Amino acid sequence: MASQPHSLSYVGCNFLRQRLVLSTLSGRPVKIRKIRAKEENPGLRDFEASFIRLIDKVTNGSRIEINQTGTTLYYQPGLLYGGVLEHDCSPHRSIGYYLESLLCLAPFMKHPLRIVLRGVTNDQVDPSVDVLKATALPLLKKFGIDGEGFELKITRRGMPPKGGGEVIFACPVRKVLRPIQSTDPGKIKRIRGTAYSVRVSPQIANRIVDSARSILNKFIPDIYIYTDHMKGTSSGKSPGFGLSLVAETTNGTFLGAELASNPQGQGTAVLPEELGLNCAKLLLEEIYRGGCVDSTNQSLVLLLMTLGQQDVSKVLLGPLSPYTIEFLRHLRSFFQIMFKIETKPSHEELQGGEKVLMTCVGIGFSNLSKTIK
Amino acid sequence: MEEKDRKKHHKKHSGPKADKKRKRHLNDLGLGDDEDARKRNPKAFAVQSAVRMARTFHRTQDLKTKKHHIPVVDRTPLEPPPVVVVVVGPPKVGKSTLIKCLIRNFTRQKLIEIRGPVTIVSGKRRRLTIIECGCDINTMIDLAKVADLVLMLIDASFGFEMETFEFLNICQVHGFPKIMGVLTHLDTFKNNKQLKKTKKRLKHRFWTEVYPGAKLFYLSGMVHGEYQKQEIHNLGRFISVMKFRPLTWQTSHPYVLADRMEDLTNPEDVRVNPKCDRKVSLYGYLRGAYLKNKSQIHMPGVGDFTVSDVSFLPDPCALPEQQKKRSLNEKDKLIYAPLSGVGGVVYDKDAVYIDLGGSHEEVRPNHELVQSLISTHSTIDVKMASSKVSLFMDSKPLGSEDVENQEFVMPKEEKQIDLKTGRVRRKAVFEEENDDGASDEEEGQNEEMSEDEMDGSEDGDGDDDVEGESDKEVPGQELGLRSAKRLKREETTEETAVELPAFADSDDDLEMSSGEEGETDLDESKEEAEDHGDEEESDEKESSDSDSESSSRQISKFTPCELGRKDKERRENHNLDHRLGKKVVPTTDSGNCTAEEASESEAEGSSLEEEEEEGLNDDSEAEESDRKGIQNAPEKNVDGVEWAESKAVEDEDGGGDVENLLKEEEEYGEENDFSADTAGALKWKEDLTQKAAEAFLRQQQSAPNLRKLVYGTVAEDADEEDDADEELGGLFHVSRPDKESKQKANALDCSKFPVETPQDWDLDEVMNSIRDCFVTGKWEADKDASKLLEEDEELYGDFEDLETGIVHKGKPAAEGDEDKEGKEPKAGEEEEKKKRMDKKRKLKEIFDAEYDEGDATYFDDLKGEMQKQAQLNRAEFEDQDDESRVQYEGFRPGMYVRIEIENIPCEFVLNFDPHYPIILGGLGNSEGNVGYVQLRLKKHRWYKKILKTRDPIIFSLGWRRFQTIPMYYIEDHNGRHRLLKYSPQHMHCGATFWGPITPQGTGFLAIQSVSGTTPDFRIAATGVVLDLDKSITVVKKLKLTGFPFKIYKNTSFIKGMFNSPLEVAKFEGAAIRTVSGIRGQIKKALRKPEGAFRATFEDKLLMSDIVFMRTWYPVSIPAFYNPVTSLLKPAGEKDTWTGMKTTGQLRHERGIRLKQNKDSLYKPIVREKKHFNKLHIPKALQKALPFKNKPKNHEKKAKPTKDQWRPAVIREPHEKKISALLTALGTVHSYKIKKAKLNHRQHLKDYLKRKDKEEEEKFKRQKEAKKKLFRIMGQKEKKRQKSSLKGSGEREK
Repeated sequence: MASQPHSLSYVGCNFLRQRLVLSTLSGRPVKIRKIRAKEENPGLRDFEASFIRLIDKVTNGSRIEINQTGTTLYYQPGLLYGGVLEHDCSPHRSIGYYLESLLCLAPFMKHPLRIVLRGVTNDQVDPSVDVLKATALPLLKKFGIDGEGFELKITRRGMPPKGGGEVIFACPVRKVLRPIQSTDPGKIKRIRGTAYSVRVSPQIANRIVDSARSILNKFIPDIYIYTDHMKGTSSGKSPGFGLSLVAETTNGTFLGAELASNPQGQGTAVLPEELGLNCAKLLLEEIYRGGCVDSTNQSLVLLLMTLGQQDVSKVLLGPLSPYTIEFLRHLRSFFQIMFKIETKPSHEELQGGEKVLMTCVGIGFSNLSKTIK
Repeated sequence: MEEKDRKKHHKKHSGPKADKKRKRHLNDLGLGDDEDARKRNPKAFAVQSAVRMARTFHRTQDLKTKKHHIPVVDRTPLEPPPVVVVVVGPPKVGKSTLIKCLIRNFTRQKLIEIRGPVTIVSGKRRRLTIIECGCDINTMIDLAKVADLVLMLIDASFGFEMETFEFLNICQVHGFPKIMGVLTHLDTFKNNKQLKKTKKRLKHRFWTEVYPGAKLFYLSGMVHGEYQKQEIHNLGRFISVMKFRPLTWQTSHPYVLADRMEDLTNPEDVRVNPKCDRKVSLYGYLRGAYLKNKSQIHMPGVGDFTVSDVSFLPDPCALPEQQKKRSLNEKDKLIYAPLSGVGGVVYDKDAVYIDLGGSHEEVRPNHELVQSLISTHSTIDVKMASSKVSLFMDSKPLGSEDVENQEFVMPKEEKQIDLKTGRVRRKAVFEEENDDGASDEEEGQNEEMSEDEMDGSEDGDGDDDVEGESDKEVPGQELGLRSAKRLKREETTEETAVELPAFADSDDDLEMSSGEEGETDLDESKEEAEDHGDEEESDEKESSDSDSESSSRQISKFTPCELGRKDKERRENHNLDHRLGKKVVPTTDSGNCTAEEASESEAEGSSLEEEEEEGLNDDSEAEESDRKGIQNAPEKNVDGVEWAESKAVEDEDGGGDVENLLKEEEEYGEENDFSADTAGALKWKEDLTQKAAEAFLRQQQSAPNLRKLVYGTVAEDADEEDDADEELGGLFHVSRPDKESKQKANALDCSKFPVETPQDWDLDEVMNSIRDCFVTGKWEADKDASKLLEEDEELYGDFEDLETGIVHKGKPAAEGDEDKEGKEPKAGEEEEKKKRMDKKRKLKEIFDAEYDEGDATYFDDLKGEMQKQAQLNRAEFEDQDDESRVQYEGFRPGMYVRIEIENIPCEFVLNFDPHYPIILGGLGNSEGNVGYVQLRLKKHRWYKKILKTRDPIIFSLGWRRFQTIPMYYIEDHNGRHRLLKYSPQHMHCGATFWGPITPQGTGFLAIQSVSGTTPDFRIAATGVVLDLDKSITVVKKLKLTGFPFKIYKNTSFIKGMFNSPLEVAKFEGAAIRTVSGIRGQIKKALRKPEGAFRATFEDKLLMSDIVFMRTWYPVSIPAFYNPVTSLLKPAGEKDTWTGMKTTGQLRHERGIRLKQNKDSLYKPIVREKKHFNKLHIPKALQKALPFKNKPKNHEKKAKPTKDQWRPAVIREPHEKKISALLTALGTVHSYKIKKAKLNHRQHLKDYLKRKDKEEEEKFKRQKEAKKKLFRIMGQKEKKRQKSSLKGSGEREK
């Protein structure tokens, strides 16, 4: 028999998505133990179960074993299958939680993925669908994942706690990825954004826009923030509002920031003006961090670089987030790949904080699921 | 006489001279070359038809694009691995002789016996690995996969043999390396004509197999048992200039053709259980792609393994240094063939062996190295580690260039970059030494540590290096050092037996040691520590030769300890619980860093803590200053040379710090020595001082290095807490980097990176900090539009705007420059030069852009892009030393590597036969997994049988050879995969089997059996992988039959098709059909007979009809995957591997005949006579019929009565005579009449002929007469006319 690929073992439910995604891509089984073992309510939560179900949907031949209490998870990956699917995400986490992983997996399916995700589109925890659409999609395009069937559409907006949003994500499949060299982020030429409001007064969006502009106008005049007020069935089940901002540079780098109102019945009410101001400041922070990829998509870009051909890929990032650092470690244990990490101290020019230059040689990954005719 | 003998001058008719002459002649005539023709005769070149023109254009373009290959990135390394030359051919064709001759040609050495691959330097840029391929099909398959060049020997006196064709087919499937034919045994031909003919025939056959024009070499004859020198020389020249094209499989997978094998198994284990699994190290050049440590490999003929360790060694057969000369120096003509016992120097991970020839062979075991190997009772790995020292000590630094190269690269980790200031600091710390020791000692966590093995090996070497260095530079201390070293060696050997906890990093080590001392429950430890202190002191006295230094070091050793304690106390508040959780196992300092920093945002907060520590360190010692000096050394890259330099400096002012360090270690070693005797269970508590020192050294390293922050911890965390024991698969441990993140283990999983300390964006300074991130901010010099514009102006100088009439003047550059030169001549010159270069570059760019504009196609762009990428690939890690490069890239092809593999079956070692190639083929991601593989397969047209579904067959796919059970199928027009019982004869079909996942597009071949030889062609099928899946798509047809039991008009009730209403429900609406062709549909289940249903048809059924439904049933594929383990067979039987046999084979062997189904036997067909009843017409109908159709009621005729019978007449003889005469007369008469008739007919004919003649004559005569008459008449008429004319004329007159 072929030797069973050595499995990896982890403790705790943190970084569950990373582990499952990397396991699927590398074909190595993974075992996760002690998932909230010491807590009052041990085991996997709803949203994690939903995520596992999603992974099961997009793959073929995966074996998932969960023990009685849900504290131990064994995952033996199958092959990525794709196709036309639907998934009801748990309203505890937003669709962004699921979408981030799908973005990693979608280019390597057997059939192009077209999936309808239902749940919460914007919340305060995860990157919202708006931001992912504006930042992650152009990022994938740099790797050669492009074409007709590549879209992310928000058909309904749903706010926590009840959700009711709907998103369509479609992605073509690729056999190999292109290496990238993006070491120059360029200069920010425009700022775009979306101020959305559901089941509240449509005026709120306008108030957000005004306050956000008041800050951003000091830097650049080319700002346009769309107001998106959804009504009727497309407005989900809970009220809420928020703002997502994206800064685009001359070299095609997108930096995003976002803020959403407190969910209904939790926390104090947020003033739209305050939200707009804070969100604009968050964007400025993101710009201060800088890099060719914004902080939420760091791990995505590193993964795609890893999965490239056996060529050198380079990318300039802002400070590495804890999530990314853990991701780098996981990349090493799953793919035996190490990144060359060089810190680039900020120049005398006024370009924000210091940057990190990440360099790696791709592992020569090729899509094993895709059929050739 | 002479005049006559002289040759007459011949005019040249061909060649360049003649051409020139002809051209001149034509030019004289005004019929010049093409262009002239175009001018001369423009009409001939005019567009005649637009369509044709379009077509010709199309065609030329088609031809052009046909030549294109998809450009690929050129990934060949700068120093490529030796070219693998496989010499293949049937037995007794002269393979070994050819190899010997080639080796002799290149190296001037004569090898007696060749076993395994032989590597030689064939030129300044090329090395060759020559290997002979036997006729075993296993060997042929394996070598075809790694070959770059195949020398195919053909016995011309015999012609092609099956092996040759088989090998060609194997090559075709696995990528088709370059193939060169070599004809031998040409001297057997006595007849020259016959020879010529044979050559031609063989050549053309060879061309059809390979490609037209493939090179075929002729070795005409043997001289003293060798081929002719000149011919071999030519062949060698061909080989050494040959170019190779990259093969997909080879370039995408790392592989090693092993040229050496060592068994590293613990001899004790082998003694206890001779059949225990072995640990083996294999050596060879890495080829193909980058090899990562811990990756999966496949050894064809053995199985799948995980690499437990890889390290690179100095090249045993290195290319010569760059030289101007064309030919090689005699000393550069190296040869390396350890399996054949050739190659003076053999390299190991940490030792170099010199083969001293036969006479010293016996002495060798007495060598210190081997003795130490034999005497000690520890693992071989450890022994090697310890023994290396002795080797280096006794011998003058062996192959010192190589060794040093390797050694100098050691202190990689020391480079630290202060995040705040961007300062680069270096530290002379040998922390890896400890790691190494730890890795050796940690039994259970061996694997874990080996992830850091690279570092480990590095520092092991680094050590030696240091010694070497000190030997050179401080000769005065040499003596003392020597003795100390010897001590050390002994100690290390002892030490190995001792189990020590792994030391990861400083803080926690400190934490631990102090924690232990502080805690009451560990009294002994305290005592022990004190003991050690004492011991150390005593040691100090002993090693008094370098007294002063070591004592000073003692101080420095302890101070950091205390500091650490302080530091620790500060931290204890956070970390109390952790410390309690684990006593023995230390954690990493950098791990702590990670945790804390991860929670803060690194950029700002990271260096805070480190700074604190640094501060503490700084005021601690004066001694430290020299070390600091090194750290502050401004070199950016830690090159070996630079390292050496800095060390030199250090030695000068610091008084040999390194040596101090060494000494320390030695002392610790001694402590170990003592403690090994005393303490058994508490070994880990020993040498706390050492730990403390280490910890201190580490602490210095803990400057915020991002790389360390991310990766540094992962490697060492294995020996952390209880998780370590629970590693899975025997190889990887939990990668839980630190305690804090362990707490975080169940934290929120979110990719967002929240801002911890938001800046106040209302402040101007804060706002200004990102001002330049916007287009509105300041641009870099090379991108600023206004500056660029200025430069352009300079470049183009004066010009006049024609529209406005303004004259723009360029800068009076010359004057300005002169002035500048006056002031600062040198700088000005530089500047000038730079400017000029810039201008030139710009001009060239403009020119290029204009020039290339027409030609630049998509293809060219793509090619350019690939080239750029290739350049980048080469340049990116070029300036780094190999040790660190290996970490980022993996081991790059061209390196000579040593690969350790564990759990290899003992048969591999016991039955090792160097004649059989050992290949380590790297596997890509998830290529080690199994699943269903779909292939496009075609039976080979030369294979005599067809293949049967479910018959086991051996596939060669990727690196592997394995037996599996395929199912053949064909794809229907609607995409359904329909099962076939047999593979089609001359057509492609699909096949699915359960086996290793291999990338799509990989070629494969199938053979029925690898054992023995058959006269027939052995390759059964070839094809390509199409798809990989985890589920089966093959279906077979299943017809369900049923019978009507009640028939209404078009509705019938059918039974017997299903067993329950549930089944019916599943098939509701399905199409059904009767045998007679009436179509219908299943409607609904009936209640009464179980499984019956109502169905409607397009016509009424008969009770005798059979109703059936066509369904498709997925077949199950047996999960049978059996790798061919031919290398494990005993020597001499390696080509006798047999796997699962087909049922046919088994029946044949055991003489079991197939029990045939009686129904399927053929019997003689007996047809019964058909009996038809009489036609009965009803009476009423009879009445209505017209008479002629009415059945006639014929009376039955009675038998003729006797009187109705005519009696026979019997004549009298007389009467007989009369009648005979009458008959004769009659005959005569009839003859007469007949004759007369004939006569008459003749007469008539003659008469008619005569008549015709007369008639004709008559007609002629009449015609004549008529003619005469008409002529006369015509004349008369003429006359009359004439006369009339005349008359009138006369009248007129």
